[in-house]
Order: sequence, then structure tokens, then C-alpha cells
Amino acid sequence: MALKGLDIFKLTPKTNCKECGSPTCMAFAMKVAQGAVELSKCPHMSEEALATLSEATAPPMKTIKVGTGEAEYTLGGETVLCRHEKTFVSKPRYAVSICSADEDIDAKLEVAKKVDYDRIGERMHVEMLYLSYCADKGVDAYVELVKKAADCGKTLVLDCTDVEAAKAALAVCKDAKPVLDGADASNYEAMSAVATEAGVVLGVRGADINELYDTTAALEKLGNKNLVLNVGTASVKDAFATTVQIRRAALKDQNRTFGYPSIVNVGALAAGDPTMQAALVSLFTVKYGSIIVMEGMDYAQALPLYGLRQNVFTDPQKPMKVEPGIYPLNGGDENSVCLTTVDFALTYFVVSGELERSGVPCNLIINDAGGLSVLTAWAAGKLSSTSVSKFIQENVEPKVKCRKLIIPGKVAVLKGDIEAKLPGWEVIVAPNEAVQLVKFLKDLQANGEI
Amino acid sequence: MAKFVTIGERLSTTAPAVNKAFSERDPEPILKRAKQQLDAGATYLDVNIGPAENDGPELMKWAVELLQGNFDNVPLALDTSNVAAIEAGISVYNRTKGKPIVNSADASGRLEYVDLAAANDAIVIALCNGEGIAKDNDERMMYMQTLMERGMEHGMDVAEDMWFDPLFLVIKGMQDKQMQVLEFIKMISDMGMKSTGGLSNNSNGMPKHIRPIMDSAMVAMAMMNGLTSAIVNPNDLRLMETIKSCDIIKNNNLYADSYLEV
Amino acid sequence: MPFTGKSGKFNAAIRTVEIGTGDKAVKLGGENVLPFYTFDAPIENAPKIGVLITDMGLENEVAGIKDYYAGATTFAEIAKKAEEMPGADFVVLRFEGADPNGENRSVEDCVAIAKEVGDAITAPLVIEGCKNVEKDAELFSKVAEALQGKNVLILSAREENYKAVAAAAGLAYGQKVGAESAVDINLAKQLNVLIGQLGVDQANVVMNVGSAAAGYGFEYVVSTMDRVKAAALAQGDVQLQMPIMTPVADEAWNVKEAMASEADMPEWGSQEERGIDMEVETAAAVLASGSNAVILKHPTSVATISKLIKALV
Repeated sequence: MALKGLDIFKLTPKTNCKECGSPTCMAFAMKVAQGAVELSKCPHMSEEALATLSEATAPPMKTIKVGTGEAEYTLGGETVLCRHEKTFVSKPRYAVSICSADEDIDAKLEVAKKVDYDRIGERMHVEMLYLSYCADKGVDAYVELVKKAADCGKTLVLDCTDVEAAKAALAVCKDAKPVLDGADASNYEAMSAVATEAGVVLGVRGADINELYDTTAALEKLGNKNLVLNVGTASVKDAFATTVQIRRAALKDQNRTFGYPSIVNVGALAAGDPTMQAALVSLFTVKYGSIIVMEGMDYAQALPLYGLRQNVFTDPQKPMKVEPGIYPLNGGDENSVCLTTVDFALTYFVVSGELERSGVPCNLIINDAGGLSVLTAWAAGKLSSTSVSKFIQENVEPKVKCRKLIIPGKVAVLKGDIEAKLPGWEVIVAPNEAVQLVKFLKDLQANGEI
Repeated sequence: MAKFVTIGERLSTTAPAVNKAFSERDPEPILKRAKQQLDAGATYLDVNIGPAENDGPELMKWAVELLQGNFDNVPLALDTSNVAAIEAGISVYNRTKGKPIVNSADASGRLEYVDLAAANDAIVIALCNGEGIAKDNDERMMYMQTLMERGMEHGMDVAEDMWFDPLFLVIKGMQDKQMQVLEFIKMISDMGMKSTGGLSNNSNGMPKHIRPIMDSAMVAMAMMNGLTSAIVNPNDLRLMETIKSCDIIKNNNLYADSYLEV
Repeated sequence: MPFTGKSGKFNAAIRTVEIGTGDKAVKLGGENVLPFYTFDAPIENAPKIGVLITDMGLENEVAGIKDYYAGATTFAEIAKKAEEMPGADFVVLRFEGADPNGENRSVEDCVAIAKEVGDAITAPLVIEGCKNVEKDAELFSKVAEALQGKNVLILSAREENYKAVAAAAGLAYGQKVGAESAVDINLAKQLNVLIGQLGVDQANVVMNVGSAAAGYGFEYVVSTMDRVKAAALAQGDVQLQMPIMTPVADEAWNVKEAMASEADMPEWGSQEERGIDMEVETAAAVLASGSNAVILKHPTSVATISKLIKALV
């Protein structure tokens, strides 16, 4: 965030003494804003003004790292409120909650591990465990839970406002860089000391947004700026309001005290209602959740959720691409018809979805087309008769016996050239729109053409 | 960024027909000119009643009520050297469509117009000029600072409600100063401040068919440098089309094929 | 020192468009803040939920939907149940079977179904077509005529057929007009301008700016809606201040995650659950991005999204 001249001008002495070499304080402020002159040229800036200015040039939202090794994740560091303005940089991470009072801890750990799959080159799984301390069960039970959870390869978040329990839990897991989500208005000094001692990120909570703000400010005053902010579980409305206002204050109003990632516990906001949790996790994925906690995660919840996250956190400047290769669908094998399209992820999903709906066994051939859509790739020379025939000769002919290739209707012009370059192949032109593929394939099948 | 704000200049006592209508309190010519300007896309209308030494307050009230009553509370710039007339105008002004603009303060004789705007929660056009024409941008900057400090003293939101006027200069006579004015607009913009000015000053004295061309070129270059508003003739189609197109290029307005028509 | 956040209230607002008549008429839009930002200013009209039924009946629906409509056989009975679904604000009748490449139901038959449904319910009615622009143009004109006085929303006019659709629905028969574009913000605005130039009062226009299921290019939906709301509210662009209605059910129930059988994907679990979560998560995301109404079909989805909206507004 570049400083505006006006912000600097307000901090100058406004005496127009000319000692800096500029005729007026305003002219000086403007040159500083443009980077043409060093602030130190002014001999009359107060210490306070200098501190304010250096604070103002810091990034609006801190980047916080948690976990280690493969389970290390980066939270925060955002610079915009909408993805189209630039890009979002740190995707939210999902956690499953387990309490030391739970009867079925082992079963819950298994649940947290269940969802694990790949989507366009990204591993989709529950990245974190949110471990809640129950005072009635005591410190030992909590330490046991933490020990068990530590073996799952997931980053731990310790939901614990009891200083002694937190100390004991950290003693067994601090090297894995968990989050200690436990500071509040009553214990923040002690908790901050515990977190700093263990070298871990501290979670802050408050009865409302004002208490959260005050406690965060107090922690910063203690020198602890390695924080995440728990938006609370008072109500859905309150949690949403806090999450949005934190992010907006940091990015839009340069309020550095709120420039930290968030923790949202949707499991607690909609306990026992997995469908409502699905709605909430979606809401907070679009709007500013950093760590989002659920009671569990099954495939029904996960499939749309991870797809949504992958979409929203795509860099608008870099299209999502599918790996080149042969993708058999509906039980396609070496005798099944081949179809080709570009590697732009959206095109791939739409086309493969329609092909699956047709039920016709086939092989979808994806070649590198620069992540562009069909017509754009064609215009850019990335989808050409040469690129298609080369890929087919090198990668498809050794594996597939069928010699029928269906090409996108929008590049029907390539038919002749591809046939010339691929002796023995018959090239069939598909309709222009993917939605017409189902009928098209079924008709081909009915007529015995494939 | 917000869209460029056009302030229609055609309700001015310098036009004999308008002068006559003002002095005779004849609504028809005033309303006709106002409608022409609004239909052409003006945001604000400037109401220049001249010095109006005898009946300023009463005349300004009449004009404000006439225009706002007929055109859905159209926002107005109150333009006169008669302070009491401006205050009277504001006293009957409806803010639904935008704050009133006080036109204008400068850094010497009309500094108290800043106070007037501050006291009435109005926008003020702050002419970065003192006596005579500023010799360079350092001097303009000095005037700007004077005006801004005055605004701050009186609790104005200077980044929103002070619109700095670099003073457009006539090309026929001061051709070598034009880039300086444009650079000053850039400085205002870099400060995070808003700007406006009497754009057509630049083409004063040029043949009639040249003026729209020169004004269009000037507004495009000035908008590139961050000009956020101008006092213009909205019935200059070429100029208005240029402004609309620049607003598209600057992403101040979302493109649609019909952008010139809306 | 307590937190003092700056309000994000805008000077401009989304237009309020009312559909339906009588006690059950619903108001869409009207807000001057971003979606669910009630901490900036109150949101008078909470987002609304439409329940989708089609002219194809219930045969192809999942068990939970069939169960809900059990006993309903005529379109009138199905529509009645749809309006009674807990959480429903309006009913959406889609003429899937009108598609010339499919069932090719005649316009006369469609009009008869529309009348049957329109007469059976008191909740507002939204009419969707078959996406064939020529057929829809004819179908919408006739349906708009047949349902005069009911203040239905015709969803929707597209670039290819807006003249016929908007003129019939918006001018001749006094209905509300939907303006549909596919995640193309410039076209969304242009279509609104063109419909306005036909003489349709912009207070009678609702937008469908396009949709996608979560995971299927949904980033374009988010960015389109973000930019529409930014233009409408921050820039005060009157050509984009129409409320947005987003059909979610069609997209959500037609992707692999919702369609793959349990036999094919045993580790994925219940197919119906997958469909519901796809519908719910997509709906929550489009509401968070700026939709003023969503169209859903499963009773669990409708109940859940209704609960979400109540919790937030």
C-alpha cells in the first residue's frame, strides 16, 4: 500500500522551512510519496511521525506460517478484498474438531483422515485438527488427545484457554508448530508468554469484536505479532460480521491491529447439523475465513467445498490447467473412441462432465494448449493440427487401438490437416457446444459409428 | 475510482440571455438551458449569478429552488463573489443528490470561502492561485498548502470536499505553460486529492470549430493525469464522448456497447 | 479503545423489484450494502428462495425429492407442495420439455401447464424456458400473456431474443423481465441498457448473470457478481442496480459429484447427500457473492439455505 502524499503531509511540521530542499512541506510530502526523496531529508519529523510512517508502509495483513514440513501452511498476507482486484494468496485451511471429552476420539481421527483425493494436481484433505480442552477431563486427557492427533500428519490447533493445560500440550507438540488458540482478555499475558516460549502462533478471542480488538492490541503491545484471530461462536451473524470487519479494517482502512488471519468454528456455530456446516464453510471460504473448523468432513461436504476453494483461490492471471494425458471415461479402453480438447481446466470439466453423462466409453485426450479455451488456443497456435497429431503419435498410438478422433466443433477447420498428418485416423467433428455432446455421442453409438 | 464529475457551465450571467432571465426572474430560459445540460449528461450545474450586489441572496434562493424543484434536486455549484448569496442558496439547498459546491475559494482574497464551505458542510472549489498567475508549480503548491491547511483548521475532509483547481490557462498566449498545469494535476492526484477546473479556458479565442477538439484533447490528457472533475459545456458532444470514453479506459465505469448512450 | 470500523454503506442501492401479488408477493433487492453486511446498514429484504419444478414431473428426481412430493401427481398438486416447502418464497416452473431437441412440448401445452400452476398457487411464480432462444421467445410471450395480472418473472431474456421476450413480458403483459448473460459483465450491463431502450422500466428487471456449480469455473461467478455489485453500489451504475436471481439447482445436480452412482463411486457415499451439499454450498457461495435470490429444488437444501439466510439477516 503506497502512502498517499496527504498522509505524509499531515505528519510534517508544515512550517515550509525549506531545509529539506523543497519549497513547501506539501511539495516535500509529495516527493516522499513518489519515492523521489527520503523521509529523513526533513530534520523536523518527530519520532512519533517516523514510527507512524514506517508502520504505514508495512503490509496491511501479516503472513502467518503454521505447521512444519508437508503440513506447513501459510495464512493471511492478503492485499485485496475481491479476487479480481489482484488475487487471493492464502487459501483457507479446513480443520476437524475433536474434544478431550469425546468418547470416540479414535473414530473421529479416522473421520478426519477419510477425505483425501487429488483435484487438478492439488491434494484435497483436512489439513488441520482443532483440539478442544475439556477442564472436567483434566490436563492428562488433553495431552493424550494431542499425542494421538500429532501422529496424523495434520497441523494442530489447540483450543485451550487454560494456561497449564496449554503448556503441557505444547510440551508434546510444539516442534510441529501448532497454533495455540487460547488467549482472551483474562489470560493473554500468560498465554502470550507460553506461545512465545514454545515458538508458536497464538490465537486470540474475545466476547465481542471490541474485546477481540483490545486484546489483540494489548498482545501487540507485549510484542507478540504472531497471531490469528478467533471470530467467536456467539452467533452466525456475529461471526460473519467479525470476520468481514477484521479483514476490511486491515485491507481497506489500514488498521494493522486487525491485520491477521481468522479462525472460524462453523462446527460450533451449527453443532450437529452437517448440512448447515456445509453452507457455512462455503460462506466463509468466499468471505475471509483462514482456518475453518467443522465437526467432521465427508465426501459429500468435501467435493463441492474443495472445488470451490480451488476456484476462488485461482490467480485470475493464471488459468487452471489440467495435466496432459489420456483420460479414460465410462470405462473407456484401447478400443474406445478418442476425443480431444484443450487443457483449460474449465473446458476439461465441462467436456468430461458431458462425456460422463453420455455413458459412452471413450478416451479424452488432453494436450498442452497453454491453459487457453478452444478458440483462444487455436488463435494462439497452441491447438493446431501439428500439436494434435504430434501428441497422438507420441502418446496415444502406442496405447490406443481405435483410430477415430473427435475434435471440437469450433476448430472444424483442422479436420483435413489432422487427417493428412495422421494416416489411418478418421477425424470426426463434434458440435460447437459441450452440452450437445451427449446426444451427439449417443447418436454415433446408435448408428454404429463408434 | 468514481466517475468523472462534469459541472455544466451554461447557466452564467456572462451569457446575456441568462443574465436577462436572472434579473427578470424569468424561469423559462433558465430551465431550458438546465434541461439541455442535464440531458447531455452533466452531473452538477454551475449557477453563476455574477456579483449580484443588490439582490444576491434572494436571487440565489430563487435559482436553487427553481432548478432543484424542476430537476429532482439536481446538485448545484453556487458561483458568485457574494458570500451572503451562497449562504442563502445553501439554506434552501436539498442534498439528496449531492452536497452543494462553493465556487470558489482561492489562496488570497477568497480564502474565507473555505470557511464558508466548512461551516455549511459543502464542497469547495479551491483555486490554487493567489494574485496574478502562479509562476511555477512550487508556487501553486504553496497556494494549495495554504488552502488545505485552512480546510483542516476548519475540520473539512480535505480529500473529499476540497476540489483543487490548477487554473487552466489559455493556449493562445500561454502555450508553454500547458504541461506545467497538467503536471500540477498529477501532483494533486498523487496527493490523493480531487481536482476540477474551467477546462475551456485553454481554448479561449480559438475558432469555434477548433474548441471542441482542443477541449477534448485537454480533458483526455488531464484525466490521464488524474483530473476528477471539470467545469464544462456539456452540450459539446465531442467533449462529453471523450470524457465518457476516458472513464471507460480508466475503469471508472463498466464498459457496455451502449456506453455513450447512457 | 474499542474497535471503530468504517461503515461500508453505499450511497447507491440495488433496486427493489417485487414479484407476485397479494400477501405472498416477495421483494428482491433494495440493499445499500454488500451481501449480508448488516453491520453496515440493515438489509430490509433478505435474499429469497425459489423452489424449482419442471414440466417433466418428478420421474428423474432423487428419492428425497420424490418423497417430499409423494401423492402429488398433477402439476397443480406438485406446485402446491412446492410453495408449501418450508423455507420457500416462490415457485419456479421450468419448461425443460419444450426443447426442440428433446421432448419438444408445444407452446400450447406449456401455456396450459403454466396456467394450471399459476392458478394452483398464491406464491410468486418464475418461469424458466428450455434455453433454445427461438422456442423460448415464443413460449415466454405466450406464457406472459396467459398469466397476466400475476406479476410473474420471466427468466429470461437473452442477447439473442431480448426484443421479443422483454417486449412481451415487460411491455405488453406487465410482467417482470429477467435479463440473462453468462458470466460476462459487459454483456450483463449492455442487455440491461437494451431492455431499457425498448421502454421497459428498469424497476421491472431482474438479472441472472450466470452460474456454475462449485468447482466448475465458479471463480467467474464470484468475480462477475463482485464486479456487478461494485459497479452498482460503489460507482452508482444505474444500469447494474437490478437484483440478481441465480438458478442453482440445474447446475448443482448436473455435475459428476451429484450424478455419479454409489456403485461407481463407493467411497463418495450417498449420492443424494452429495447432490444436496453441492446445491447448498453453491447456493451459499452465490448468496455470499451477491445473489438476491437462489433457485433450489431439494427440501433439505431449501431448509438449510433458509436457515442460513435467517441466521445472517
